[in-house]
Amino acid sequence: MYGNENKTKAKPRLRRRLDSWASATLLGLGFLAVVLVTGFVHQRIPVAPESEQSGRLVPRPEVAQVLSLGFESVVSDYYWLKAVQIAGGARTPGPEQGDYLARLVDLVTYLNPHVGHAYRFAAVWLIQTEEEVREANRLLRRGIESQPEEWRNWFYLGFNHFYYLDETEEAARNLAVASELPGAPAYLSRLVVRLRAESGGLDVAQALLSEMVRDTQTEEALSGYLEALGEIEVERHARDLDSAREAFVETYGRDIESMDELAAFFDPILNRLPRAQPSRVGIELGGESNWVIDPESNQIVSDYYGRRYRVNFASDRAHRIEEWNRSAGTVSESSSEEGAS
Amino acid sequence: MIGSVLRIWPIATNTLREAIRNKLLYALLFFGVLVIGASVLIASLSYVEGERIIQDIGLAAMQLFSVGIAIFVGIGLIHGEVERRTVYTILSKSITRSEFLLGKYLGLLLTVWLQLVLMAVAFAGVSAAAGASLSVTHVVAVLGIAMELAVVVAVATLFSTFTTPMLAAFFALGVYCIGHLTRDLNALGGQADDPVVRGLAQGIYRVLPDLDSFNFSLYAVHGWALAPNDVLWPMLYAVGYVLALLFMATYIFRVRDLK
Repeated sequence: MYGNENKTKAKPRLRRRLDSWASATLLGLGFLAVVLVTGFVHQRIPVAPESEQSGRLVPRPEVAQVLSLGFESVVSDYYWLKAVQIAGGARTPGPEQGDYLARLVDLVTYLNPHVGHAYRFAAVWLIQTEEEVREANRLLRRGIESQPEEWRNWFYLGFNHFYYLDETEEAARNLAVASELPGAPAYLSRLVVRLRAESGGLDVAQALLSEMVRDTQTEEALSGYLEALGEIEVERHARDLDSAREAFVETYGRDIESMDELAAFFDPILNRLPRAQPSRVGIELGGESNWVIDPESNQIVSDYYGRRYRVNFASDRAHRIEEWNRSAGTVSESSSEEGAS
Repeated sequence: MIGSVLRIWPIATNTLREAIRNKLLYALLFFGVLVIGASVLIASLSYVEGERIIQDIGLAAMQLFSVGIAIFVGIGLIHGEVERRTVYTILSKSITRSEFLLGKYLGLLLTVWLQLVLMAVAFAGVSAAAGASLSVTHVVAVLGIAMELAVVVAVATLFSTFTTPMLAAFFALGVYCIGHLTRDLNALGGQADDPVVRGLAQGIYRVLPDLDSFNFSLYAVHGWALAPNDVLWPMLYAVGYVLALLFMATYIFRVRDLK
């Protein structure tokens, strides 16, 4: 009798244990399923890269300052990191991104005017339109106001005036101030003299760009400056070829019909033609480029660039805008073609 | 006087002992240290000025979490004693209500200062590991936070004498926020044409705590020099403001019916 009672008691206990294992297993499996499904669903949610989120709200600096409740530096750091991500995500920020970057840097430097690099960051990235360059200059002046002893802000301001805005006098004035500040390179004062005497030139552009290469820490901006330096190198060769062409005309009483005549004639003006592409571009990478006479301008040009270099961005702006529009047009055409197919 | 100090001290140490048993304190301290440590990761997102970002975040975390502890632990100071009815036992001894309140204030202040020191050690460790420079100005910046905490704890103590913990938290947070806005309010009011508005803004600026005056973070992070007066005046201001708040709190607590 007692044995039977024990059996009847044992059964429910076993069942209870099994039930609790089963429910625990079910609960575990349910949890796993929910986690997996949620993870799958989360993966499907599109996240626009930071660089494309140009329309996102940037609070007005005055409002942000009030709302930061004494934590202006941290809020400023937050927006600085955002700006860095935007610039890092886009090889060349477009006009909308430029505007977004400008607003971010404006906020960053308003909340904490004592930040160092943000001003130069603006100068490096806000270059797509004249308005952007002027905005970068405004921010640089804010930096100068809070850190008047920082020569680099004056230098970048001078560079912008010279390179992008073609305002040589203003550039010389800013570079002159930079040259007198502690830490400024010694050649800067000589550069100012040359700038004032020649109103710029290849040497001045090369020196300024070389300094930008030394100071720039972002790869994208660096490649832009290196490209400009490469153009200057090729332009020097092109100017040598111009002189050789003049010598040819003087010697033979006629102009050259092809570039080979400068080097391959029986009494050559040049032993050989210089490279038609920058030395940093290997032949295996860029292919062998050639010197040609542009039928439209009758100028000697490298087919690597297809045009002659102009010292200032501003003086070459029409060409650059044309190039910009052309590439934008190509992109939209190809995308519409893709859409049609 | 000495007798008074002797009676205040045990209450202060008891409050400290009680506060360090509060789990909320450890939770906030843990998150504070976590944010200080995480600042290294956050700063790595920037290709320049990483050390500055680490120290900006570190000092802000110390300030924010300390204030959190001061407010959320401080609001229940008196209420807890009344709820548990321990206040009657204590006050039935030869301790006055003022001494009891001062002991409570001192105990809580010691608690928040203790956790501030712990966070400062974490901050120094993280800064040193990241190669960020540390100087005397950093000590002054921590001292500034300590002064701000003394004021915030006094505010929390004042509100805890006459209202519920929930309302006291709201009020104390409100005063903390306004305390960081008074300079802006004064500057805005100063631009008004109406002299009444200007006077009102000036009055608010003088009456409410100017918590921004204890902020030396910028000096520490940017390595700027500080004159002795830059620290001395805020320190005296903090002492004066704390005393004024404690006078008010004492008065309210003395006339309050605890039944």
